[in-house]
Amino acid sequence: MSYSLATLWYERQRYLPGVLAVGFSCLLIALQCGLLLGLFSITSIPIDESRADIWIGHPEVPSVDLGRPIPESWMSLLSQPEVETIEPFMEGFGYWVKPNGGMELVLIIGSRLGPGAIGPVRQLSAQHRMLLSEEMSVVVDEGEFSRLGITKIGDYAEVIGRRVRVVGTVRGLKSLAGPYLFCSVETGKALLRPPPDQVTFILGKCTNKADAQKVVDRLQAYPQKISAFTADGFSLRSRLHWLLKTKAGIALGLAAALGLLVGAVVTYQTLYAATAASLKEYAVLRALGIPRWRMALTVLAQSFWVGLFGICLAVPFILILASLGNDAGAKVLLPWWLWTGAISVTMTTALVSGLLALRSLRLVEPATLLR
Amino acid sequence: MYNDGNGVTPTLRAWGLTKTFGVGDVMTTALRDVSIELYPGQLSLLMGPSGSGKSTLLAALSGLLRPDSGRVLCLDHDIWSMSEKQREHFRLKHCGFIFQGYNLFPALTARQQLEMVLRWSGISGWREARQRTDAILDLLGLAKKANLRPNQLSGGEKQRVAIGRALIKEPSFCFADEPTAALDWKHGEQVIELLRAAAHDGGATILVVAHDSRLIPHVDRVFHLEDGVLVEGIERPLSLVAGDTAVAAEY
Repeated sequence: MSYSLATLWYERQRYLPGVLAVGFSCLLIALQCGLLLGLFSITSIPIDESRADIWIGHPEVPSVDLGRPIPESWMSLLSQPEVETIEPFMEGFGYWVKPNGGMELVLIIGSRLGPGAIGPVRQLSAQHRMLLSEEMSVVVDEGEFSRLGITKIGDYAEVIGRRVRVVGTVRGLKSLAGPYLFCSVETGKALLRPPPDQVTFILGKCTNKADAQKVVDRLQAYPQKISAFTADGFSLRSRLHWLLKTKAGIALGLAAALGLLVGAVVTYQTLYAATAASLKEYAVLRALGIPRWRMALTVLAQSFWVGLFGICLAVPFILILASLGNDAGAKVLLPWWLWTGAISVTMTTALVSGLLALRSLRLVEPATLLR
Repeated sequence: MYNDGNGVTPTLRAWGLTKTFGVGDVMTTALRDVSIELYPGQLSLLMGPSGSGKSTLLAALSGLLRPDSGRVLCLDHDIWSMSEKQREHFRLKHCGFIFQGYNLFPALTARQQLEMVLRWSGISGWREARQRTDAILDLLGLAKKANLRPNQLSGGEKQRVAIGRALIKEPSFCFADEPTAALDWKHGEQVIELLRAAAHDGGATILVVAHDSRLIPHVDRVFHLEDGVLVEGIERPLSLVAGDTAVAAEY
């Protein structure tokens, strides 16, 4: 066992605040970023959960929920050899009037419903699609009942002056701005009332998904002013739009940075105090001619161990809290690169704290040991 | 070259050492034109009342505290004309230190305290460090205590570990500042005998600063420092055995 690790274990009470601070930083970074990813992934649900490879929208459309009407005739633009399915898609905000009064902003999503349809989200079952084929029927997320002021499937409400009926529920499709209302293209048109022969998006599915980018590149070169994206590209564009527009990312980022700063300061203080407490022992080694860098290496090794133990402590808590968050309806995404990033940033913070704590070694003076 | 008249060359020779502390009107002169010669294989004792400058002289001789003037030649190297790095390297190669406080790392075992010096000084690798450490712990009567931490050792045992730490490099010089001050006489006697053995058997030049006159019979030479002046140097015959109260009475 290395001397630094032996010291860390023997004086664990002394190092515990540093370990906890590092762990807290790691937890905060991972969960904040996981929440951020989860939050933004909500904005692109209609894209990510559909089967479409290509999305065509109004010029400069910033996000999937901010589409404006485009001519349905643009469907012909997608008549390309690589594209096997072309569909219209309706999307737009509306006001939901609750049965017992009060209003709620909702996001209406109208897609084709046939067996080979590419627009509907995967969560819509064949049964749902059959029920939605009835005009003015909608499917909502089961977690949105109270927000929508309804209690059961079969309840009625009013959307932009039209009466709609809830015919089914799905799970895990909560929306950021307002509850999603899944319906047919026809119901979507009836609710959103676009100009005649206009839709919000045109979707395409390629025989080979890898061809999507090629088709998009071709479409963008057309003289018509359209926006064409691959599904992945549009998903990212939608997430980034909300990240930048809402400043939510900045707020969460600042909170994570604050956590990091607190972790760094506490770790620095812990290491500085621990090193200062051993100044006399280090002074003996200096008298014996042991170079200062060996002691510096020990302090840095201690900061490494503090970082490692802090991270090990944080990981189970991150998993538990993320699971609790997901159960509570807050989507927390923890992809591998987020783990790598959070662990790297935390470890770097611990090591930087160690570097700062090296200042205490300047106080090591062998002559002070003589009385 | 200098020698003691019997052909032995001093390993440490200092002359004209002065050191003053303080500024302005509050000045304390710790060393006044001190000259001294130390020989290999001898255990020398530097005595004097508190504040007489003993520790300052030890620090100046050992390369820890720069004197205001004077020179110190250790193994023919002028240590105060060296750079800080050169002096550090000289201490690494040739010097061992023992202080009154044991200054042992509380988290490390007796064995680790000694191994650390060998490994961190780059003198030996892990395996050799372990062998040398165990050998010296055995010599110090600490073989069974090798895995104990300082809080599990008595004061005498801790000081023996500190001696081991000073001697494990097999240095040419060993400087000890009040190594017995915190110990009862039984343990103090053990410590001075260990240092005496290191000088006589290992050929090291050992200088001990102390104010306990009971140590006198155990050493080879005695120096007395008062008000920064090395007033006399008493050379004792190497054959003098412990218990010479006549000389001890002088102090």
